[in-house]
Amino acid sequence: MKKTLTLTAIALMFLFNAKAQESEENPLDTLARSVAAMRDELNVKNRLKISGYIQPQFQMADSAGQASFNGGNFPKGVDNRFMVRRGRVKFQYTSAPGEKGWATSMYVLQFDVTEKGLAIKDAYVKITDPWIGWFNLTAGVSDRPFGFEVGYSSSMRESPERGRMSQLLFPGEREVGAKLTIQGPKSSNWNWLALDAGFFNGNGIGGAGIDVSDWDNTKDFIGHLYATKTNESQTVKYSGGISYYNGGFRIDSVNVYKMGADGSGVGGFIIDTKAEDNGAVALDSRTHSKRVYYGIDGQVSFDWHAGMTTLRGEFITGEQPGSAVTFKSPNNNSPFNVDIYSRKFNGAYFYFIQNIMSSPWQFVAKYDWFDPNTDVKGDEIGKAVDANTKQTNSVDIKYNTIGLGLVYRWDANVKITAYYDMVKNETSNNLSGYTADIPDNVFTLRMQVKF
Amino acid sequence: MKKLVLALAAVTISVSAYSQKLVVKGSDTVLPLSQKFAEVYMKKSSGASITVIGGGSGVGISAMLDNTTDIAMASRKMKMDERMKMQEAGRAFKEVVIAYDALSVVVNPNNKVGKLTREQLEGIYTGKITNWKELGGEDMKIVAYARETSSGTYEFFKESVLKRKNYSSTCLNMPATGAVIQAVSQTKGAIGYVGLAYVNDKVKDVAVSYDGGKNYVTASKENAMNKTYPIVRPLFYYYPTSREKGVKPFLDFILSSEGQEIVDKIGYLKLK
Repeated sequence: MKKTLTLTAIALMFLFNAKAQESEENPLDTLARSVAAMRDELNVKNRLKISGYIQPQFQMADSAGQASFNGGNFPKGVDNRFMVRRGRVKFQYTSAPGEKGWATSMYVLQFDVTEKGLAIKDAYVKITDPWIGWFNLTAGVSDRPFGFEVGYSSSMRESPERGRMSQLLFPGEREVGAKLTIQGPKSSNWNWLALDAGFFNGNGIGGAGIDVSDWDNTKDFIGHLYATKTNESQTVKYSGGISYYNGGFRIDSVNVYKMGADGSGVGGFIIDTKAEDNGAVALDSRTHSKRVYYGIDGQVSFDWHAGMTTLRGEFITGEQPGSAVTFKSPNNNSPFNVDIYSRKFNGAYFYFIQNIMSSPWQFVAKYDWFDPNTDVKGDEIGKAVDANTKQTNSVDIKYNTIGLGLVYRWDANVKITAYYDMVKNETSNNLSGYTADIPDNVFTLRMQVKF
Repeated sequence: MKKLVLALAAVTISVSAYSQKLVVKGSDTVLPLSQKFAEVYMKKSSGASITVIGGGSGVGISAMLDNTTDIAMASRKMKMDERMKMQEAGRAFKEVVIAYDALSVVVNPNNKVGKLTREQLEGIYTGKITNWKELGGEDMKIVAYARETSSGTYEFFKESVLKRKNYSSTCLNMPATGAVIQAVSQTKGAIGYVGLAYVNDKVKDVAVSYDGGKNYVTASKENAMNKTYPIVRPLFYYYPTSREKGVKPFLDFILSSEGQEIVDKIGYLKLK
């Protein structure tokens, strides 16, 4: 009995003592401490962002087996197909904001997973100066800083694909290199003006399984100076920019041709440098081909009674070193061992985008042209030339494309696009297969889910 | 049969009560007004449940974009970038002005300075004027308090008073209006700006001139209504049109004469 009483007394003392200790802290302080701990933990987790989108689509072409800039060529005998155009997942880690309120480093890795395989789209680090926040250095695989369309996300773009011009000049959009961005922080009066400029390998980034390691010492300079402003009543946003590209690649033991005319005045490629002259020079002393682009871009968006309207345009001109069979510059890690054909080109695109009132529907109209060789046109393309001159061919054909589309936004994550691209090629009575317009229009029905 | 009718009625009532649940999020300036609206409305409408959360205009609009609020409160107009994001998300919305607010400039009660021109305020907040003696006051360093960048009040003050010039990096950004009042009341050389409804006797209201010092006007409902006080702004509710049915009864109440009387009582300016 005595033992039981003693134990009960001890237990009561412990209980009382425990209660006294509990009552020492204000419950609100305990709650505030817990909330602060949870907030700190959440802040750390919020620094890692995972985002992505998938674009399954069905396409139908006017005729089977056509070459297309709408997700690649149609196989022989095929005029319709299902495909996953893009399957992106992006990991982005941003460091904690510094004393001045901005993060000083960022890490980005983005993959593209489709039925064709796995490809790296972005793999870069970005550091920002911690003192004034004006200077950012990005190094790795990132978008080329040229114009608007190249860097505009495919998940946001109103048409299913970039124009023919962007796809030919900047295949894969990305590039391995380093770029400096100079722009005032959001609190700066100069935040509206920005410069992106850097040096890149110049080989692009091909896609799944394509090695684009550099094979020459030549580095390409790419720069974009742009400005963005909004009016005081926050109903109009306008922006514009100018771009410059200066690069090329090493000329090995190959002939270099430029546009000229044969003895009777017919346009064709004439020799500029002979293979034996180029080959006679030591590898590390050889000159490089000229790859120069000039670009201007602009867009304006305004919110009015009819809904949000956006007008957008971009024009690019320059000189491109390609081959007899392709306009493109090298897009892999192999030295360019075929004759180089230099072409002067120009091209442009224009968008008219109208949100229908405040509904989830949006109308899109796009016109673009691309002339890969401005020195030759019409029946002159493919015309026979003398023995000292090289004939022009299908690479030199100009294209005009009109695209019309309707976009429906199911919700914040899902977007459905129906789009019809009407492609019209330049015709020439001297070029087999191009005496009339090729039936290569393409209809695309795409669903996009974004997270 | 009678039981069935009663059961159906009960289900209808419970569904109806559920539809009265609203979340209102955003501007700290609009917060006390919305809290009072909600309090009175919930007493009037049985089954209505309205949760009001502050955080700033930008926070409210982001919440509307993320579909986590029925109404976004804002003390500034929605920005173009925000409009474009709403469009990209396929989210149509409506804008309603629910009241007006005068923005008061306040200093510590011990500060001798009682009036300032817009240009002087611009000088203080852009860092060109750093001592009260430059303004006829004591030899004392100016401590300028501003709101956080996500605040509509921050944006409005920048547009109206600073004429879109940038705040000085020496300005101290406070997370809420209450924090500005507290900081100004406890710091001798402090200056801040708050919605008229927040002004109390712990701070001193400063008369402001927008005509280069010819006329100085103190913030008050009367001066704002007769348009002699210049720093006045509309207060907004934004809501997705998809939620209009649920939001409309509450909005109708706010825009009614009863709702507008609350606006007046709390210290804001009625629409008419």
